[in-house]
Amino acid sequence: MVSRNDRYSVLGTRQPKLDAPLKATGRSQFTDDIILPGMLHGKIVRNSIPRGKILTIDTSKAEQLPGVKAVITHKDSNGMMVGPDQQLLCNETVNYVGDEIAAVAAVDEDTAAEAAELITVEYEPLQPLFSMEEAAAEGAPILHEYFQDNYADEIKIQFGDPDKAFSESEYIRVDTYTSHPTHNCFAEQHIAIADYSLPDKLVIWTPSQSATLIQNSLAQAFDISGSKVRILNLNTGGAFSGRGVARPHHFIAALLSRKAARPVKIICAADEEFLVCRSGGKNRFTFKTGVKKDGTLKVIEADFLHDCGAYIETQFIMLRIIGANLQLLYKLDAMRYRGKLVYTNNRPYFFHHGGGIVPMRFAFGTHLDRIAQDLGLDPVEIRLKNAVDKGYTTPGKVHFASCGLKECIKKASRKAGWKKKYGKLPSYRGIGIGCGVINSGGKTVFDHDTSGAFLKIGEDGKISLFTGLPDMGQGSHTTMAMIAAETLGISADDITVVSGDSDVDPIDTGAFGQRGTFTAGNAVKIACLDAKRQLVKTASKKLGVKPSALIFRDRKVYLKGTPEKAVPFEEVVYDTLHSLEGRYVMGRGFYNPPADPTDPTTFEGSGALAFSFGAQIAEVEVDPETGIVRLLKMTVAHDVGRAINPLAIEGQLDGQVFSAMSQTLFEECVMEKGQVLNASRLEYKLPRPFEVPEIAHIIVETNDPYGPFGAKEVGEGPIVCTSQAIANAVNNAIGYPITEFPITPERVLQALRQKSKGQRETP
Amino acid sequence: MKQIITLKVNGDTHQVAVSPWHTLLEVLRDQLGLTGTKRSCGMGTCGVCTVIMDGKAILSCLTLAFECEGHEITTIEGISGEGTLHPIQKSFIENGAIQCGFCTPGIIMSAKALLDENPHPDDEQIREALSGTFCRCTGHIKTVEAVKKVSASYGKGKNDGE
Repeated sequence: MVSRNDRYSVLGTRQPKLDAPLKATGRSQFTDDIILPGMLHGKIVRNSIPRGKILTIDTSKAEQLPGVKAVITHKDSNGMMVGPDQQLLCNETVNYVGDEIAAVAAVDEDTAAEAAELITVEYEPLQPLFSMEEAAAEGAPILHEYFQDNYADEIKIQFGDPDKAFSESEYIRVDTYTSHPTHNCFAEQHIAIADYSLPDKLVIWTPSQSATLIQNSLAQAFDISGSKVRILNLNTGGAFSGRGVARPHHFIAALLSRKAARPVKIICAADEEFLVCRSGGKNRFTFKTGVKKDGTLKVIEADFLHDCGAYIETQFIMLRIIGANLQLLYKLDAMRYRGKLVYTNNRPYFFHHGGGIVPMRFAFGTHLDRIAQDLGLDPVEIRLKNAVDKGYTTPGKVHFASCGLKECIKKASRKAGWKKKYGKLPSYRGIGIGCGVINSGGKTVFDHDTSGAFLKIGEDGKISLFTGLPDMGQGSHTTMAMIAAETLGISADDITVVSGDSDVDPIDTGAFGQRGTFTAGNAVKIACLDAKRQLVKTASKKLGVKPSALIFRDRKVYLKGTPEKAVPFEEVVYDTLHSLEGRYVMGRGFYNPPADPTDPTTFEGSGALAFSFGAQIAEVEVDPETGIVRLLKMTVAHDVGRAINPLAIEGQLDGQVFSAMSQTLFEECVMEKGQVLNASRLEYKLPRPFEVPEIAHIIVETNDPYGPFGAKEVGEGPIVCTSQAIANAVNNAIGYPITEFPITPERVLQALRQKSKGQRETP
Repeated sequence: MKQIITLKVNGDTHQVAVSPWHTLLEVLRDQLGLTGTKRSCGMGTCGVCTVIMDGKAILSCLTLAFECEGHEITTIEGISGEGTLHPIQKSFIENGAIQCGFCTPGIIMSAKALLDENPHPDDEQIREALSGTFCRCTGHIKTVEAVKKVSASYGKGKNDGE
């Protein structure tokens, strides 16, 4: 629980989300709730073999079906690509079960589905590759002909002198870990409505993490300027790293709409979701770490292999952020990282919640526990010993202007009773710790990381605040309103957040990279200060005091120290308008973190100014008969810089513990020949209410010098701590390390069998 | 062949023409404009489309519209009055139990069916009643808490459900 700071009247209050009443009553509009005049329903025809050449595509029967208004194939998409290696509608080769080949638009969903069934495709099958080993083997067929092998991307990062650091190490350990494919599984399925019935404007309704990225992709694909594409994102039913960019259904809906000259809605079916969603792929991590006998870390060498599936899309980002994140948490002399993306004929992957860092931290966090065990050190002690501090600069030249890592570790272990429990629990009970770090926005991917903001103040003193930052449920719009309210000395209820329309909103890179609170929050603060400057003139004249002595607070403006002589905020606004100047107060601002982008060749620097840190303790009970792990309790500490809305922060902590718990113990796409065998929410399991743990929250404030009021992210920092804590607790409970993720009952039983056979640990 | 049936939804009577395969969810959303009930998996795996029929929480995507004739249907639109919220809705808002909001109507309807039948459920009964509804955002932490808190206030006069 965070204590209220009297300096602030809005920050630190438990503010219910401003849009919660609309959502509680079902009045919030999601894309599927929209029905446009003349709207048609689209259905995509997908490829049914893992790899092959297309011989013929026959759409004639579909075209003759009554009610069908448009049928499209590659002839209509005119070579349109979605990403560097993926045709929007295939006409040559197909690379996974699910490739888009054709699409239809019809008067209703049933007719569209029937017409899609009538389209026939003939193939010449080619040898598919389903595993990274097969794809990397000598003589394997090359899946994308313009490459010399099946490595879609490869990077090497090195900081310091790893060889020297290894030679100075007193103990070296190597471990390999595997994690399996996952699915983001958001509640609102992939959906888009496109209206391209008039050639001068393409309008797309879609849930999204970034209108800007979708707008840019569509403009490029249709060769029109960005302002001719309008993105409407009314509400987004969850995203979890899965809705960052334009996906084939966006382009296909637009093509169908253009051809039929009517709006077209495409919604993916439940099993189709598992093909469309670019979720987490299979990962393999090998860590070789050198330490001193006292546990001081010297050097990490990491090899990372990722099955990127049929197409690379934006997965090159993941290669980089995993390498970049590895050097951030513990003090090191040197680091070497090699990352490779491997093409296969599985569905194309991308991110699950936590963007690849979750499995990486699971792997490194359990590897670190095994090092501690080998050296006879306590897992909490080895983390405290190596934890980075405020003012520290990593070997890769990343600087921490604020850092609450040690405070998080100390507070979490104290609250969880670590010393009383570690090594002293009954059999099959275990306790484990996990730590993590993540950037708050920054120029990590693009050359800028800009958010704009503007506001207008009505005659009644109420504010419309415009932001392009989407709110997928994390409560960012309420956070923006609270930052605005604090800056202007009013209440969050006085603010209407206007967002979700690219024709209206200012630019915003999007809700990813943990940039919302930090980057868009700074933009909102700057815009509000701009508006405040205009009001200060009126107020200082009215009160006859110097502008610098004015306080804006609790909807009042007054001379510092004399709140009893205050004038109401709305009166200042009214007088500013009803004056000789007749000034209508509008504020504007933008924020782009003043940091150098990561160097593209040396990978030095981070492009981000702020980093948040966390530590979590998991307590588990393992049933040795069934292998089922029960997560009993999570103690969760996170350094948020400044707690703007503790109620929403708790929600973020809960949600991320849940999602990471789910990834650690439950979620796995069971793959066979490139297909997901458990492609439904019934079989792709997430924890149910009686399986979730008790969660204790610890909010740590470190007042970041760059954050708005000192605030940093809480968007994906917590999730990267959870899985290692749970995995370490399971290893602690069964006395044998598990090296595969998720830790399903089968894997627990296998570990117990290996332990009883007295086998050596797998390397 | 479509047939005219009479549906009683939120106290109002509607005559609608439906095909035998039309689900209650389709009729609610497409014909009656009650889009508060959301459509998600369409195969009974997520509980997002939960509504109440004769006091029981049901999945509207797995219920044929024909089966609903002569029954009382309540949707999320039917539990709040003019400018007033149902106590469960209030509790969800105040306790931070709403994030993306897509599953919220289904979760609230499941909670209402539970509390109407048993105003003071224990922790296990709440978790069981909510286990049919998917929620990726909240982790079922604050939703369970919101139901607990509102049930504790039941019977104290000011916050009763009906």
